[in-house]
Amino acid sequence: MKTAAHIVSATPGPHAVWVQGVTFTYHGADRPALRAVSFVQSAGEMIGVMGASGAGKSTLAKCLNRIIPEFEDGDFRGTIEIAGEPLEHLRVCDVAPKVGMVFQDFESQLFSTNVAHEVAFAMEQVGMDRAEMDRRIIPALEAVGLRGFEHRDPMSLSGGEKQRLAIASVLALRPAVIVLDEPTTDLDPEGRAEVFELIAKLRTQGLSLIVIEHESEELRAADRIMVLREGEIAVDGPPAEVFARTDLLMGCGVRPPGLGHALKLLGIDAQPENVEQACDAIVRAYPRLAATLVDNIADPRASEPPATAENASTGSAFMAIEDVSFSYAGGPRVLDSIDLRVEGGDFIAIVGQNGSGKTTLAKQIVGLLQPATGRVIIEGKNRAQMRPAETAREVAYVFQNPDHQIFAATVQEEVAFGPRNFGLADGEIRRRCDEALEAVGLLSERQSDPFLLSKGERQRLAVASVLVLRPRMLILDEPTTGLDHREQLRMMALVRDLNRAGIAIVIITHTPWLVAEYARRVVLLRKGAKIFDGGVREFFMQDELLRSSSFRAPEITELSRRFGTLALTTDEFVAWVKGRA
Amino acid sequence: MPIYLYIDRGTFVHRLHPTVKVFALFVMFWSVYWVDNPIALAPVGLVMLWIAQLTDSWPNFYRLRWLFAILVFTTTIAWMVFYRRGAVLVNVPIFHVSRLSLVFGVGRGIKLAELLAASVLFLSTTKIEEFTYGLQRIRVPYRVGFAISLSFRLVPLFIDSAVTIVDAQRLRGYDFNEGGPIERVRRYVPVVIPVFMGALRKANNMAMALEARGFGFSHEPTTFIDYPVTPADITAFAFLIGLGALYFMLYWTGLGGIGPLK
Repeated sequence: MKTAAHIVSATPGPHAVWVQGVTFTYHGADRPALRAVSFVQSAGEMIGVMGASGAGKSTLAKCLNRIIPEFEDGDFRGTIEIAGEPLEHLRVCDVAPKVGMVFQDFESQLFSTNVAHEVAFAMEQVGMDRAEMDRRIIPALEAVGLRGFEHRDPMSLSGGEKQRLAIASVLALRPAVIVLDEPTTDLDPEGRAEVFELIAKLRTQGLSLIVIEHESEELRAADRIMVLREGEIAVDGPPAEVFARTDLLMGCGVRPPGLGHALKLLGIDAQPENVEQACDAIVRAYPRLAATLVDNIADPRASEPPATAENASTGSAFMAIEDVSFSYAGGPRVLDSIDLRVEGGDFIAIVGQNGSGKTTLAKQIVGLLQPATGRVIIEGKNRAQMRPAETAREVAYVFQNPDHQIFAATVQEEVAFGPRNFGLADGEIRRRCDEALEAVGLLSERQSDPFLLSKGERQRLAVASVLVLRPRMLILDEPTTGLDHREQLRMMALVRDLNRAGIAIVIITHTPWLVAEYARRVVLLRKGAKIFDGGVREFFMQDELLRSSSFRAPEITELSRRFGTLALTTDEFVAWVKGRA
Repeated sequence: MPIYLYIDRGTFVHRLHPTVKVFALFVMFWSVYWVDNPIALAPVGLVMLWIAQLTDSWPNFYRLRWLFAILVFTTTIAWMVFYRRGAVLVNVPIFHVSRLSLVFGVGRGIKLAELLAASVLFLSTTKIEEFTYGLQRIRVPYRVGFAISLSFRLVPLFIDSAVTIVDAQRLRGYDFNEGGPIERVRRYVPVVIPVFMGALRKANNMAMALEARGFGFSHEPTTFIDYPVTPADITAFAFLIGLGALYFMLYWTGLGGIGPLK
């Protein structure tokens, strides 16, 4: 069988990438986005690039294929060579055969109506003859595991398949280097796993890869990790060395791998690559814990929680979904006899693969969709009898993309939009805006242009815009997508504070550690059916259920289960270990 | 829910040479342009119905049924206000209900519906790549042809985005149906701005992705798919020439008009 090795070009000399003193300042910016960045990538090497939003990661990626300075206005200085050839004076399209680029937004990089044509697109652009295209398409699709999909419409593929198709389309040109700019941000766990499995496979085939990623666990297999901070390389080295510097990583807005962080807090100097290594290191440092080791994590002893569970539910059902089923026109059932109760003060995570019905369920709650059968009850009233505006005052919904609602000239005006629609008095609007902006930490930005805020700030603005209506329940669809670790923590701290203030929270998420650290209840959907509804600890003990839903527990939870307990956070696990040691 | 109109059925219409399909679209527009009378518009309408049946494009017509209905209805009503010729049949304030205004209004409605139907049939049976290729063959520069065909791909994405934005604003208590017609249009500002900003962002992302995939490398990109000219293409071409000529004759002879006052 042909593999990626067959479609990778000849080794491009000693250096795949050579970057010398690259500085770039966007037009109108007061500081450079990149400052004197220099590094060399050997042929066949994989570099993981990390850093907070605005650290310069995407700017660096765009420099590597001349999108900067060709596409973006600004001041570019420095030299870049790909496989020994300087890029100076080349156009972006001239660099395409040398550097393949895969972007975060997979919808924007697919242009064709079938998979084979999508792979052929770049080859057509460079004027390749039809026979050569024919020779390259199947190996490229085989390399990404999409053989047999040739006639499928790219839009009918899952997110993970779309990203793999994007990778196949750049592989077909046989570039010396492939740059992947946060390729899994919008994917569910299954899609993420697909893409990272493919990256690992390409890596073994000798391709030079530069992967920009927020999740440090995913980059353990890289040869080097480069962390950017305010446009400069803060650290560049092997993963074991870089990930051991947890304080530096956190200072750069990067979440250190949970296992390594836990070991450091336990005073163990090791950077484990997996749960087994972490387990061994702990047993070596704390021999008494060997007695607690569980051979089979399905062992009943593994169900002992460290008894720190928090429960703030008030016990009264604020919202109830009763036997709700739903299909889009002419389509299969998207929701199948769903029952769900949300109590005041609940903090629920709805999880499930893409297409499992999570967002459809949320839209049923807020009244954007009407159930085919069953009903939704809010505060004892049938939602079908409530006007959308009436529902909006009880249940607020924050869309995944904050840009789907922002339109006003200032932050203040944006937040005031909701209360104005309800005809509130100016004084009351002002009071509520202050309250909502204070809650989300944007009071000082009230006169700012919302379009100039960072993604994290826009996400918090979206929360403020519905919070101002003082709802009793808040639904957040993927609230941390596209945010760096620092912004994620800030966003989730806000959500937790709102929950503590008595607002029932429902988050739709794909991120295991968010579920573990913040939620108190999990609802798992599969093909429109609710297949689990219970506590977070109970959820993470359902190995078969997790596997079949392509969800997984955070590594720290898996590690804790080896010791016969179930910790949801690093702090919880460290406290448990110290308590027994 | 599918957001594109192309329906992969493999019928002989689907297999026609892209240039013939682009020419067919042109001939449909041409034919509809020259005549006003609903009876004269009927033959080209029947041809379209036949093609719809042949290509199994009905799901797209069903999806757009309200658009067709609104188009015919509002156009007919509007022309009964503005087309003030012929003897009044019924006295209705503002309206001028005469045989001529009815025929003219219905004719205009059918005309618009047929223009829409021709586009729907074209997009139901033509891939974006074929569209680009077809335009290229008639000497439209590659970049222009690609931009035109890509815009067809983008429209459904923008519609999808607009629907989400309308939902987002409704959930903030916004009522799009308040006020008179002008006020209602004005009330769409909170939708238009995010759609516009989103479109700019998407267009920018797409432009970067296109160039990163080599778009612009060659002025004469090659094509992955071979489009040989077949006897079916020649037959279809001859038929279209005949249809176009027939409609020009209807105009020339006055048979396509609505009556003596034309």
